[in-house]
Amino acid sequence: MPAGIDLSLRDQAAGIAAGEIDAAELLDTTLTRIAERNPGLNAVVETFPERSREMLAAAPAGPLHGVPVVIKDEWPLPWRAQRFGAAEMLAPSAPGESGPYRALRDAGAVIVGVGNMHELGSGSTGNVSFYGPARNPWDPERCPGGSSSGPAAAVAARMVAGAVGADGVGSIRYPAAYCGLTGLKPTFGRAAMAGHHMAAVTSMIVSGPLCIDAADARLLGSVLCGEELAAGEPRGLRIGVVRDLVSEDVEAPVRASCAKALGLLCAETGGELVEIDLPDLETSALAAVLIANTEGMAGLSPARLNDLDPELSPLGRGLLKFRMLLPAAASVKAAQVRALFRQRVAALFEEVDLIAWPTVPAVAPPLEAPLVELPSGTTTADQANVRGGALANLTGIPAISLPAGFSEGLPIGLQLQAPWGRDELLLDTAEALERANGRAKVEARPPLAQPAGEAAGA
Amino acid sequence: MGDSNRGDDFIPAGLAALGIEADEIELAVMNAAKAMFWPPILELFDFDASAARAEPRPDLSRPPAA
Repeated sequence: MPAGIDLSLRDQAAGIAAGEIDAAELLDTTLTRIAERNPGLNAVVETFPERSREMLAAAPAGPLHGVPVVIKDEWPLPWRAQRFGAAEMLAPSAPGESGPYRALRDAGAVIVGVGNMHELGSGSTGNVSFYGPARNPWDPERCPGGSSSGPAAAVAARMVAGAVGADGVGSIRYPAAYCGLTGLKPTFGRAAMAGHHMAAVTSMIVSGPLCIDAADARLLGSVLCGEELAAGEPRGLRIGVVRDLVSEDVEAPVRASCAKALGLLCAETGGELVEIDLPDLETSALAAVLIANTEGMAGLSPARLNDLDPELSPLGRGLLKFRMLLPAAASVKAAQVRALFRQRVAALFEEVDLIAWPTVPAVAPPLEAPLVELPSGTTTADQANVRGGALANLTGIPAISLPAGFSEGLPIGLQLQAPWGRDELLLDTAEALERANGRAKVEARPPLAQPAGEAAGA
Repeated sequence: MGDSNRGDDFIPAGLAALGIEADEIELAVMNAAKAMFWPPILELFDFDASAARAEPRPDLSRPPAA
C-alpha cells in the first residue's frame, strides 16, 4: 500500500498539504482498502468512486483537503438520501446537502462511503440493520456498537482515519467504546445538524466525530462545529466519580481499566478524583429514552404504522407500534426529570470539572445475542448501556469516550462529561490521558488492521 | 384496580383504540418491551421531580438559567 492510508487524519491532511501524499492516490488506496476489508465487517454500505473523485476535484484548500472520510447513513448527500439503516425511512427523505456534508465539503474532505448503522438509530449494538449487521474489527462475531456502527468499524479497521456519526442516546460513544476509538458527542446544537430528518424536532441528536485519537477528533470535530476546538492544557482537574450502578454494576476489567485510566489522568494533570452524588441516574436514562422515542414518532400515524415496509425488522416494527402506546403523561414527566437533571448537573459542575464513568459496563457482546453479564445479572446490552450514555443527551452536555484498556482482546471505553460548551476540555483531557499511557490504547489496532509483520497491540 | 386494567390487556386494547394492526411477532416484541419499560414508567409517575425549577423550553446548548 502506498504511504498515507494508515496515517492519522491530521497526518493525511498535513501530508497532502505538503505535497508528500497524492490525494488522488490516497482516495484510490482507500477505496481498495474498503474493498479488501469491508466484506468481513459490513461497515461501509455504499461507495461512489465517481462522486468521491468529483469532490476531490472540487475540494477547496481546507483543513481536510483531500482526506477521505465515511459518513453515517443518517445524513443525506447530494447524490443519495439517507436510509437510517432501515428498509424505509419513516420521515420524508431525499438527496440533499446536509450540514455535515457541507462542513466536510467546505473543509476539502472527500466522502468516500456511507457507514452502516443500527436500524432507525434505535439500538446501541449495531446488530440490526437493513444492510445486515456491521461487525466489530476486534472480533467480527461481536457487536461494533450503535447506532453509529459502520463509521466506528470503518475507522477501527483503518479503512478511513475519521468518520462522522450521530449521537441521540450515546450513539457515537457506545461504538467508540466497543471499537477502541475516540468518539465525541458535542454540546447539543454545536455541531452541524441541518438536513437531518429530525432536525426540527430533536432535542437529543448531534453530529460528531469518530477517530483514532483525540487530536483527530479535534480536527474533525472542529470541521463539524464550524469553529476551532482550541487545544489547551488541563491542570488540576477535579474529576467527579459517582458510586452508583453506572460505575459499580460493570464487568471487573472495565472497572479496573477505567480506574487505572483515571489514576493516570490525575497524575498527568495534577488532578484529583472527587466523589459526587448524582442519584436516580436510571430515572434520567428512562426520561432520555422516552424523550428520544417520542420525538422520533413525530409525523407517524396509526395508518402509517399499518403500512410499514415488511422488510423493516420485526423488532423495529414492534417497537414503533409500542412507542405509539406510550402515555403522553410519561413524556411530560420525562421533561420534568430533564429539568431536574440539568439543574443537578449544573450544580455538580460548580464542584468538579468533569464527570467520569465507564462508557459501557461491558465489552462488546456477541452479535447473535447482545447480552452482557454484570454483577447484578444478565441483561441486554441496550438496557445496560443507556444507564451511562443518556445523561449527556438528556442535559445537552458534551461527552467523550476514550480508549481505556482491553479485556480478552476487546476494547474498554472511559466516558468523560463536561459542562455545556466545554467540548475542548474533553479533548484536552483525552490527549492528557494519551500522554499518560504512552498512547498505548489509541495506537492499538485490531488484528485485521495490523501493519504487515506486527503483532496485535492490546 | 384489577390486573387486567394495567397488565395484559393494555397492548391489544391500545392497538385497538388506535386502529393499529400487529402480527404475532410484533405483539411478542411489544410484550417484551412492555415487560422491560412499563414497571419503570409506572415508577416514573411516582418520581418526585418537584425540586426542579420549571424549564418549559430548555436551551440544551446552555446550562439552565439560574
